[in-house]
Amino acid sequence: MIEWLSNSGNVKALGLVIFFMIFVGIVLWVYGSKKRSQELESYKNIPFLDDDSETKEHKP
Amino acid sequence: MAAVSIASREQYNFDVVRQFTVMSLFWGVVGMLAGLYIAAELAWPLLNFDIPYITFGRLRPVHTSGVIFGFGGSALFATSYYIVQRTCQTRLISDALAKFTFWGWQAVIVLAAVSYMLGYSQGREYAEMEWPIDILIEVVWIAYMVVFIGTIMRRKQPHIYVANWFYLAFILATALLHTFNNLAVPVNLFSMKSYSLFAGSQDAMVQWWYGHNAVGFILTAGFLGMMYYFVPKQAGRPIYSYRLSIVHFWALTFLYMWVGTHHLHWTAVPDWTSTLAATFSIMLLLPSWGGMINGIMTLSGAWDKLRTDPIMRFLAVALSFYGMSTFEGPMMALKSVNALSHYTDWTIGHVHSGTLGWVAMITFGSFYHMIPKLWNTKLYSERLVYWHFWLATIGILLYIVAMWISGIGQGMMWRTFDDFGNLKYSFAETVAMVRPFYVMRAVGGLFFFSGVLIMVYNVFKTIRQGTQEAAELEAKYAAKLAQAGA
Amino acid sequence: MNFNFKHEWIETNVGLMLVITMIVISIGGLVEIVPLFLIKNTVEKVDGVRPYTPLESRGRDIYVREGCYLCHSQMIRPLVEEAARYGHYSLAAESQYDHPFQWGSKRTGPDLARVGKKYSNEWHVQHLLAPRSMVPESVMPNYPWLLTTPLDTSDLVDRMKAQRTVGVPYSLTDAEYQRNVKQFGAETAKWLHIPDAQANLLKQAQEGNYDGDRTNISEMDALVAYLQVLGTMVDFSKYDAEYLMKGRGTP
Repeated sequence: MIEWLSNSGNVKALGLVIFFMIFVGIVLWVYGSKKRSQELESYKNIPFLDDDSETKEHKP
Repeated sequence: MAAVSIASREQYNFDVVRQFTVMSLFWGVVGMLAGLYIAAELAWPLLNFDIPYITFGRLRPVHTSGVIFGFGGSALFATSYYIVQRTCQTRLISDALAKFTFWGWQAVIVLAAVSYMLGYSQGREYAEMEWPIDILIEVVWIAYMVVFIGTIMRRKQPHIYVANWFYLAFILATALLHTFNNLAVPVNLFSMKSYSLFAGSQDAMVQWWYGHNAVGFILTAGFLGMMYYFVPKQAGRPIYSYRLSIVHFWALTFLYMWVGTHHLHWTAVPDWTSTLAATFSIMLLLPSWGGMINGIMTLSGAWDKLRTDPIMRFLAVALSFYGMSTFEGPMMALKSVNALSHYTDWTIGHVHSGTLGWVAMITFGSFYHMIPKLWNTKLYSERLVYWHFWLATIGILLYIVAMWISGIGQGMMWRTFDDFGNLKYSFAETVAMVRPFYVMRAVGGLFFFSGVLIMVYNVFKTIRQGTQEAAELEAKYAAKLAQAGA
Repeated sequence: MNFNFKHEWIETNVGLMLVITMIVISIGGLVEIVPLFLIKNTVEKVDGVRPYTPLESRGRDIYVREGCYLCHSQMIRPLVEEAARYGHYSLAAESQYDHPFQWGSKRTGPDLARVGKKYSNEWHVQHLLAPRSMVPESVMPNYPWLLTTPLDTSDLVDRMKAQRTVGVPYSLTDAEYQRNVKQFGAETAKWLHIPDAQANLLKQAQEGNYDGDRTNISEMDALVAYLQVLGTMVDFSKYDAEYLMKGRGTP
């Protein structure tokens, strides 16, 4: 295993394969279903749920 | 009104956020002043004044640690405590532990700076702190981890907002990197001196695994956490794509750890490690630009604000520099380009387009947004923010253009042969060539530094204004109470 | 692939997120660094490379203390122009006893990997005292205190013991001494014997007369002794190019 890894010719290919599989997996998972997409996108509003102090911008 | 402000004060621990914010600016001034001074030392070596404590070799770690750990580190503590409380809608789990991280971290920076000037150094770039300071960092970091993770655990939101993932990755990775890169055996228990556990090429691999991931996880992931909260807040609209941020996060955390060896191209480490690093460096472009696009698209819904809101400009320019330096980086990681760029000022320029352009600009933008909220007031002067913005932008441009010319120029001169097959230039001739650009770099630094001083003044006035308003409000409230009582 | 997998599990469970993030960030380091400790040819076998003598080692401490590595590299790359300017490219073996490594990352000044024996002791002393008196274009600081500060040797033995702990073959026992005789030869083994460290340091400083003043041992003595040994240990006429390239993993 290590011998094979330490051959510089193999390493590029291996890196690409590992990266690509994981990357494709994540992308498929994230964009794969409409329901999931909607759910995920709903989280983007979290920073705005906590707006009590925002009102203080109009000051007395 | 007053009742609301008291309630929000109880809801969150903003004291520690305020402390870290102020100290971040303080260390920013100290660290950048040290940077400006060593830039001037290179332009005019007379400035070393034959004083051991301020020679370039001892002052340079004061600059790097001061800005990375003092300015950047404190900014990350401040914003992470702020964001984790507001997005989890809960208070930090322990005020005492948070306070400990504050004082502990300040002690680390002071001890590091003083010890460097006295000549205590591990001789490892960006990790020069000797072993007793390393142990203190480890303790403070574990406390930080407990506070941050503990706060997430008692959140009122079921979902953990993406900014917190980036902070989490930054905290974990830093713990890992710091621990393994600083394994050393002290000369004795009462000596500051230690010898690294590793030697030669293994030591080099560990050190640059640390060195590059300090960039990847402290200066990138941490500040991306900042970006994912403050860009939407300032633009007044949510992040462009939450799904993209998920892809961004996992790809970035996975890829960064592979690329450190591109600092060791053509050196005595096995070729396959540097080939691997070059390959992953190129791939790293994808998530980096994914993140940049996410930020830019968030801003793009609010372009009109760019004309009226100077804070937005800081955020937009920060994202642009993030995009630029994450393009330049992979390019310099190509072995052929690296043969030219390595050992030259080009590297220094690249680092500063990332640190000044991305890290510092995103921090300034976030601070201008956060500070009025922390002190419950308005920014003292928007005009001064404009001034800061222009001084900083011009400063960065002067800096990186100077380093491009001197770096590429020197790299070319080093490899030029004459018609007889001899080297055309002596090393000294190449030093003479870069001197004017060292002056230009120092001028760029002066611009940037003046901008920071303006910010410090603006922030100081804002804080004073905030405290005065709070006092007035309290007086009014007390008067009303007295009236009602009478 | 299991499509029932829910990212929400990770997002809503901070413990799980910690574990997965930890795994993800560990892979890169494990794959790249661990093999270096296992593969035998990471450090090529060459004769001549030995640990530093006590005086050289103290000189190296000063090199680290003053932050020389921030402007000078000690790593010559296998490129034509570097061979012409600095000499044979650096081998991993040449820094195998360097704790920490001092390869550096910037050449504000020239590479020092093979600076040993290129200049006289007098040149080095003068250059360290006032660099611009020797090289007018130089931007290096002056280091006058090196000549006036006596070398601190009070914890010399502890320093060598600490290096022995991290793997430098300094000898403490007779058995270790014999091992060194076998590995480095009797002459070198004497210099590496910790019980004789003080005497050895004194002897080398006296004989070498690095700073031009035999009456005391200054930090200058130590630093110049270190600089003068850099890159001089391997006799490159004994090895052909192909043999050395194997160390880099290029077939």
